[in-house]
Amino acid sequence: MATESRKPYKARRVTVFVCLALLAPASVALYIYSRTYAKAWRIGARMTPAAFESIMGRAVPALIGMSVAAVLIAIISLLFQTMTQSRILTPSMIGFDSIFVGTQTLLVFAFGAGSRLFTDPYINYLLSAGAMVAISVLMYGFILRRNKNNIIFLLMFGLVLSGILGNGARYLQVIMDTNDFYQVQAATNVTVNNMNTSIIFLALPIMLVVIIAAMSRHRTYDVMSLGPDQARGLGVAYEREVNFNLVIIAVGMSVATALIGSLTFLGLLAVNISRELLKTHKHLPLFIASALLAALTLILGQGAVELLQGAVPVTAIINLVGCSYMFYLILRENRL
Amino acid sequence: MIEVKNVSQSYNRHGQRKTLEDINFSVREHTITALVGANGAGKSTLLGVMANLLPALSGSVLLDGTDVRRVKTNAMAKKVAFLKQTQLLSIRVTVNDLVEFGRFPHCAGRLTQLDRDKVSQALEYMNLTELRERYLDELSGGQRQRAFIAMILAQDTPYIFLDEPLNNLDVKYSVEMMKIVQRLVSELNKTVVMVLHDINFAAAYAGYIVAMKDGRIIREGVPEEMITRETLRAVFDFDFRIEKYGGKNVCLYFDNE
Repeated sequence: MATESRKPYKARRVTVFVCLALLAPASVALYIYSRTYAKAWRIGARMTPAAFESIMGRAVPALIGMSVAAVLIAIISLLFQTMTQSRILTPSMIGFDSIFVGTQTLLVFAFGAGSRLFTDPYINYLLSAGAMVAISVLMYGFILRRNKNNIIFLLMFGLVLSGILGNGARYLQVIMDTNDFYQVQAATNVTVNNMNTSIIFLALPIMLVVIIAAMSRHRTYDVMSLGPDQARGLGVAYEREVNFNLVIIAVGMSVATALIGSLTFLGLLAVNISRELLKTHKHLPLFIASALLAALTLILGQGAVELLQGAVPVTAIINLVGCSYMFYLILRENRL
Repeated sequence: MIEVKNVSQSYNRHGQRKTLEDINFSVREHTITALVGANGAGKSTLLGVMANLLPALSGSVLLDGTDVRRVKTNAMAKKVAFLKQTQLLSIRVTVNDLVEFGRFPHCAGRLTQLDRDKVSQALEYMNLTELRERYLDELSGGQRQRAFIAMILAQDTPYIFLDEPLNNLDVKYSVEMMKIVQRLVSELNKTVVMVLHDINFAAAYAGYIVAMKDGRIIREGVPEEMITRETLRAVFDFDFRIEKYGGKNVCLYFDNE
């Protein structure tokens, strides 16, 4: 076995962060270029300052939306992996995003599309975040604590949860009023190309709260990655810590899903590639690297898709790559 | 000072089928106390309750006179270090990283010069200074065991609880481990409570033996009183042959006709 010392890893870490920091503006530039000049050139028109400004009026919120969602997804995925002691699970993999579709459908079905509970983005967000918090705390109480972090149970729970919520929502959508149905569709069919940027001013402060909560506790997470028994032995109030973090995860997950829809594999990719690149167990560099990497992947991917005239949505590419990477991880680690 | 008072514990909610029943004992200071007994006797459960990792169903564990349930997790971690059998970690860390984790109760991860000194001392004491930059998965079983002990040494607690520390260790490392634990008591004045499966390890190294059966303490005493045919029959339902070897009693479990 190789006996590496730590020195090369420090140099490596610096290289990784420099590369990420250089690539981030490059990806933003590519995205803007492909939406403006590339498009104008393709249709043979000249890019006027007025047209540029009008496109930027849509591109800037899209950029902010993608960055916020990507940063949130990366941070909560890493948190979730530390809480579940798994390198492969992420919240969306156990069906957390189906809770969003479920609550939206239920709200419209019960109160109608005109109800403030549905139309007011803040109340709507509070309700769907509340549902996610409740379900994740119940999930922890009933499954994780009793079965000693049994990953198989957790996956089964996710399968059943997304099955029930997905099919239940579809059933309600079939029997509800047509107008209500269109409203639900508009709220739940958010994708990278069709972001719900109206909640950006809700998403930004929530992202800040999640970042501060995660960053300020990074040393505790380092200890928690030793496992529950060891962490308790070293003075971490483990149950309380897990409950708190599940709330953070639910709060972040619900706003990311409402903003950009479901991006099942983005978190898995960003977190695990950061681990491979940095070769560290420390959460602080991992948080920063995976947040940067997730935003980079999303914006670069979306820029490339626009450049190539968007035959394939970027989410499809991320899911394809992420899915193959997950198989690779399972096969390599030989466990879930 | 750790005292266990009338502790009962059950894994199912209504308290039928007790795993611990009315346990009373005081930990002897600056001694190795071995908890022995058959599988399922409640040894590990008792150690977990004493370290406040499991809540007791009734009764209390007093640490210097205070109920451990009222001691903050962090304050508890400055008094009692708890180590399970060396498990493989899910993360890849160096020996130095692992030992630094031992300082977490004192500095919440922000290491000061004092913490770094304690880490270096612990590594020095366990003969790991040269290996400090190595990853745990590059070490032999015995070195890895020593790294974990260095971690709880850096934790700097008067009490050390070891839950089946010899599981998964072969004979060589088991003996090495017990010799280290003996040094912790004789040189560093620690108080050690450990769960042991092999009665002979308890007989050879422990200063005090607590024997459990079906969730109760049925006998306790110094090895000379405990390693008798009659006591061991009561604990294990098995007739051992007791022989004198080097001034100590040794139990033989084959050919006991």
